[in-house]
Amino acid sequence: MEFVIDHLVKNYGQKKVLKGIDFVFEEGKIYGLLGRNGSGKTTFFNCVNGDIDVDSGSFCIRDNGKEMPLLPEDIGYLVSTPTVPEFMTGREFLKFFIDIHEEVKPEKTIDEYFDYMMIPEDDRDRLLKDYSHGTKNKMQMLLNIIASPRLMLLDEPLTTLDVIIAEEMKKVIRSQKQGRITIFSTHLLDVAVDLCDQIVLLNNGKLEAIDKENLGSADFKEKIIEALREQDDDQ
Amino acid sequence: MISEFYKTLSQVITLRSIIGYNGLVFALKKTPIVGRFIPDRLYATKELKIVYWIFHVMKELFLLFIGKIFGLGLIYLFSWILKDAYLRNGMADGLSGKALFSSFAVFLFIVYALCGILINRSVFRCTTEKEYLVFMLRMNARKLNNTLLIYDLLKLVIGYLIAGIVAIFCGGPFYVWLGIPILAVFIRLFGNGTQAFIYNLKHKRGSSLKDNYVAYVIRFTMIMLMVPILLGLIINGLLIPIPVLVIAVVVLVILGIFGYVQLKKLDPFIHKRALSENMARNEIQHYRSSDNTKSFKKIKAVGSVKSDKKGFDYLNALFVRRHRKLLITKPLVFTIIIAAGVSLIVYLLINEYADKYGTSQCLKMIGNNLINILTFGHYEDSLMPYSGSSVGSFFRWLVTKHLLALLAAVSVTDNSFKCTQAMYINCDNSLMTFSFFKQPEKILRLFDIRVLQLQKINFGPVILYGLICNLILFITGGQDYPFHYLINLVVPILISLVYSTMWLVLYYLFQPFTTTVKVKSTIYLIARILIGFFFTMIFWIPCHSALLALILAVFSAVYLFFMRRLVYKKAPKTWKVKT
Repeated sequence: MEFVIDHLVKNYGQKKVLKGIDFVFEEGKIYGLLGRNGSGKTTFFNCVNGDIDVDSGSFCIRDNGKEMPLLPEDIGYLVSTPTVPEFMTGREFLKFFIDIHEEVKPEKTIDEYFDYMMIPEDDRDRLLKDYSHGTKNKMQMLLNIIASPRLMLLDEPLTTLDVIIAEEMKKVIRSQKQGRITIFSTHLLDVAVDLCDQIVLLNNGKLEAIDKENLGSADFKEKIIEALREQDDDQ
Repeated sequence: MISEFYKTLSQVITLRSIIGYNGLVFALKKTPIVGRFIPDRLYATKELKIVYWIFHVMKELFLLFIGKIFGLGLIYLFSWILKDAYLRNGMADGLSGKALFSSFAVFLFIVYALCGILINRSVFRCTTEKEYLVFMLRMNARKLNNTLLIYDLLKLVIGYLIAGIVAIFCGGPFYVWLGIPILAVFIRLFGNGTQAFIYNLKHKRGSSLKDNYVAYVIRFTMIMLMVPILLGLIINGLLIPIPVLVIAVVVLVILGIFGYVQLKKLDPFIHKRALSENMARNEIQHYRSSDNTKSFKKIKAVGSVKSDKKGFDYLNALFVRRHRKLLITKPLVFTIIIAAGVSLIVYLLINEYADKYGTSQCLKMIGNNLINILTFGHYEDSLMPYSGSSVGSFFRWLVTKHLLALLAAVSVTDNSFKCTQAMYINCDNSLMTFSFFKQPEKILRLFDIRVLQLQKINFGPVILYGLICNLILFITGGQDYPFHYLINLVVPILISLVYSTMWLVLYYLFQPFTTTVKVKSTIYLIARILIGFFFTMIFWIPCHSALLALILAVFSAVYLFFMRRLVYKKAPKTWKVKT
């Protein structure tokens, strides 16, 4: 399975943010979408998720050579600042979510899901509005795991988490990569190198795959920083 | 010293112009429709900044005129009128016209200026420009306060000297023209110096330097009470002796010198502390988007819902349960008010029957006739006290031929707009990031549940409108045709169905709310205006109640059918978080 982007263009007034992106993402990989602050990572995700209209271009899922339109149910989207329905408790929200996804046969009970995501027992029957930022993030991730979408968009989900929760989340993301395409946006190079199978730079409004052979080496980091600097110079 | 004053003043004026101009462009950019045509480069347009400056100077001159020239000019005019009246009525006590005029002018000015220092902003009030200069750009607070005080005093003297022309025209002496501006400076120094003295004492004691709002209200109230009394006394012949006025002026000059000393010796740190504790921020507050979400965030984890509810039914039931106060308060208050009104009318009617026929007979008659109404729709003529009156006829015409007028009543009690706000901010806003929430079938399922829920929320007042119509029908001659009473109950329900669904459809099709539940959609606003215009137009159309019920029933069915289709087709694209 592949996620194919064909000439995606998005402008805000005179400002060109995405300048005709052509790219193919492959199943089973975590892609690190790396770009500087304001480079258009969230705009890119919002376009894919249908939250904002694109100016031109299209997306599709290609499976065994057959192209299918990208449907809302194919996408799981984790935003950096999670918003959850504050009037529900974690347990109520999870029950509602499982009810709604009749097509998904839950493999675990609600408490087993909470255990899997390491959500403390005393949080489970509290209103979501009283959850910490990290626990809200975990809830969001858990729902996306249950829905099991083919394309998972993670918009800087680790940036504001503490070390422990960030490590737990990384573990979960890695464990969920099989059978789907995961695109993980970040502006932190170390996080991208640590978690991702492939680095993709959002550079001058276009996506550019970086050769992953030397992933982790000092040269590799220098190369990426140089590429991002070039982007700044071009602008 | 003069160059330092000039340098500081230039910095203040430059900053003031930047804040003012950028604030204006920002406000324009936030204006619906117009805002989208305002480019960012407007912030850097030199020519427009010059235009802004011209307007800014005009505004300063205008404020100078209103606050100083106009105020003192009125005092001179009033003194001139008083002088003439006193001379005409022989109340001058041997004083010449000039002396009388001077006496009134000086006395009234002293009262005016003392009131001014009691209620006007002191030099220690921290405006936006002071906040930026002192706390961000690290300017010396004392230097800034003193510069602005001198600038204010200069404006004061110029304004009062211009106003003095009125005094000369009124035959006032030269020393009044020149003396009052100088006295004004001393009084202003006294006011600010006293404030400095108090701050110094408070600082030594470690107390807060924040101005006391209650004390301000008391001062303001006292002035409002005292000034009219004082003016009344003057009009009625109270003449302050000139020696007393001279002493008062000398005392005020001495107090002014005291104030100057206090200001001069006040430590820069206390200046800064006073500013930090008296921040105004009104200027920028106006342009900041306020957070309206607080009232929507009062949620408590009270109760649960029946376990047989699933999916969106479960979501809706929980939402209503946890937002009960927010959703039903308005309809409930109206229900209680209307019910109390209806009960009062019924009580008065029964009382009237009781007076006429005696209590036991009356209750029997009402009981029998209620059965008659429910089964056959008619009752005895004796229970129709208003069938012949003109007021009765008008109301009867309303409930039989003009039930569309209920649109106005329904629009007052309907709580659907607030419900959509609550739905967005506490529920949909977060769920919209999940893909399942964007699937047309699921959107429609929740939409259907919510249409029904809005009817339940608004049911109380709506059913009471029906009951009021039936009560009017009852006391003005009873029903005209079978099921007339039933129709009078159905019509308001149908009107409410159309009205409340309209809010929900607008919400699903345009999703106008920001994360602070402000409306940010031009199309939504235009749609509201057009629909409001449509409802206002049809409000005036008279229609027989039976025909109206039929039309409304058909219209509601067709309307719901098309609105559901519209939501199914369009909402997956339009119903989303506003970025």
